[in-house]
Amino acid sequence: MKIPGRRRRPAGPAAEALPAQSADVLPDPGVEVLPDPGADALPDPGADALPGAAVDAVIELAAAARTYPGPPPVHALRPTDLTVRRGEYLAVAGPSGSGKSTLLNVIGLVDRPTGGHYRLDGIDTGPLAEADRTALRGRRIGLVFQAFHLLPYRTATENVMLAQVYLATPRDRRRTEAVDALLAVGLGHRLDALPSAMSGGERQRVAIARALVNRPSLLLCDEPTGNLDSASAARVMDTLDALNAGGITLVVITHDPAVAARAHRSITLRDGQLSEDETKLSTGRPR
Amino acid sequence: MRRPVRRPRHPDVPGTRMTARDLVAESVAGILQRPARTALTVLGTLLGVGAFVAILGLTATARGQISSDFTVLAATQVTVKDVGAPDQGGQAAAAARYEFPDDADQRVERLNGAVHAGTYWQVFKTPPDVSTRSGPAIGTASGDTQGAEGLTVYAASPGLLRAVGPTLGGGALYNTFHDSRRMHVAVIGSAVARHLGIGSLAARPALFINGTPYTVVGILQDVERLPNLLLSVMIPERTARADYGDPAPDYAAAMLIQTRVGAAQLIARQAPLALRPDRPDHLQAVPPPSPHALQDSVTGSLDSLFLLLAGITLVIGTVGIANTTLVSVLERTGEIGLRRSLGARPRHIAAQFLTESAALGTLGGLLGTAVSIVVTLSVALAHHWTAILDPWTTLPAPLIGTLTGLLAGAYPALRAARIEPAEALRR
Repeated sequence: MKIPGRRRRPAGPAAEALPAQSADVLPDPGVEVLPDPGADALPDPGADALPGAAVDAVIELAAAARTYPGPPPVHALRPTDLTVRRGEYLAVAGPSGSGKSTLLNVIGLVDRPTGGHYRLDGIDTGPLAEADRTALRGRRIGLVFQAFHLLPYRTATENVMLAQVYLATPRDRRRTEAVDALLAVGLGHRLDALPSAMSGGERQRVAIARALVNRPSLLLCDEPTGNLDSASAARVMDTLDALNAGGITLVVITHDPAVAARAHRSITLRDGQLSEDETKLSTGRPR
Repeated sequence: MRRPVRRPRHPDVPGTRMTARDLVAESVAGILQRPARTALTVLGTLLGVGAFVAILGLTATARGQISSDFTVLAATQVTVKDVGAPDQGGQAAAAARYEFPDDADQRVERLNGAVHAGTYWQVFKTPPDVSTRSGPAIGTASGDTQGAEGLTVYAASPGLLRAVGPTLGGGALYNTFHDSRRMHVAVIGSAVARHLGIGSLAARPALFINGTPYTVVGILQDVERLPNLLLSVMIPERTARADYGDPAPDYAAAMLIQTRVGAAQLIARQAPLALRPDRPDHLQAVPPPSPHALQDSVTGSLDSLFLLLAGITLVIGTVGIANTTLVSVLERTGEIGLRRSLGARPRHIAAQFLTESAALGTLGGLLGTAVSIVVTLSVALAHHWTAILDPWTTLPAPLIGTLTGLLAGAYPALRAARIEPAEALRR
């Protein structure tokens, strides 16, 4: 089995490209990227050696696959190509067991693909050290979970501030940034509420604020409405719509067709195989 | 489990880190989230460290107390008091009496464990006139040096002079011969000799007690027991009884027995019966305050036993912290996954749990030390002892708690660091 992610540098084509990338970072003002802090250090995508690389791609999967070793081996994600551009709103639908979680883990950098390449913000994640993958995850990806994962003894603001701990954000900036993030999801009135005093929808919006506070390149939501009643779910989806309208790149993984329908682009996973929803493509409006 | 291959760091992605302040803040928050559980966890370390410090403090205090009043001399001395007939009330008590048999010294010295024994009492109620001249003391050119008032005269059996552990400054002690013949001889203390101006015994100097002459046969340079004998004149017991009668009730006779080490209790039980088989209750034996030598060695072995118990308590405390931290790790798997997703590296997770358990241990150590100091002080105060706390064992005691916590937290922290975020977040 070919596992490029495990190969030492310099080995693969992507690895060879890395020094060139860093050399190109500074002297190329011609390439205008979105005012995203995650893009500050972005390499020039033009130097990209991978086929199908887009100028403003956030996620680029090239034949990325994930196989769980057997016996028998489970091909949770068959070789998949996927490009998500900056500002896109993508829904990944599919029944349970279709490989949604595997795709989420690969994109969210909590799992390594066993084959192919995954580039986040133009950085090939394959040859990265584990510490760098962790850093990328913390700085460039905001994760939202079905189970919220809020700390029960901390207020909404404190829960959001937890995300700033590992980035060592200066302490005097933490509270104002956290409050800004909570305001952005419409929770200005619940700043000091404990999770136990909040509705499910409010909790999920606190979690979204926590994912946003470090201004990631990508907001990755895993069944964000899975634990919510329809009214709360609608509020959360409205919040996500608004965020996307404000320029946030969104990937929502869901089995709920109603949630998938709100995305501008939808793909469906079935048995680890990805298929693009053609009807959606026409309405998709990548910025 | 996938083991990461060591790779060079990517230059464009600043690594995530955790400041010391954040580490402490997160750990303290973790501890304060469950105050009841924290208190119970701390209790184990508290008891362990507390027992440790308290045992060291209490034994040091008690030992200081014992050694202050423990001497071999005191442990080998028995006093037998002449208490008279206990049931005859005022009349008998008012009469002069001498309940010891004539061969009292020999009877006790025959007992196995006794070394020397002798009776003594103060002869005169009022200080007698003691001088080196036969007549009433008259002031001379040499002043008062040849006569003295206020000296005590003791009747002392020959055995007593041996039992006090004498050092002779000159001459010899009187013996049974002098005693049985009721001879007028005297042994004087060194202070008396200086006072009376008696330097050499070569000329057989005499001294007069209320006008009665006594030949000075010996001078006591020093004694181990009854130091007031150095300020006194001793005359043979039978001489005293012949001249002045039985001792007055206020100055009842007593017997001093020197015993071998460890035999004092035995001799104290046997002496009254050996002296007066018919009326043992007329005599009261006073053994040394307590068998200190024995007590000391017993305390020593108790020490190590208690320290062992303290160590066991500490081990239990360690296991308690380990258990709590492990439960906490399993309980907070979701939180760990979340923190990993927010950029925490395994070492950050491990450091957080290690800091939590170390803080728990330190808290227990501090509280345990404080409690044990209070206990030691209270016990010392209640016994009117001087509390002795060695700073070298007391001050570092909280660190024992810290070490306990670190030790206990090592495995749970490792477990926490190894939790895969993907699995943790699935919950």
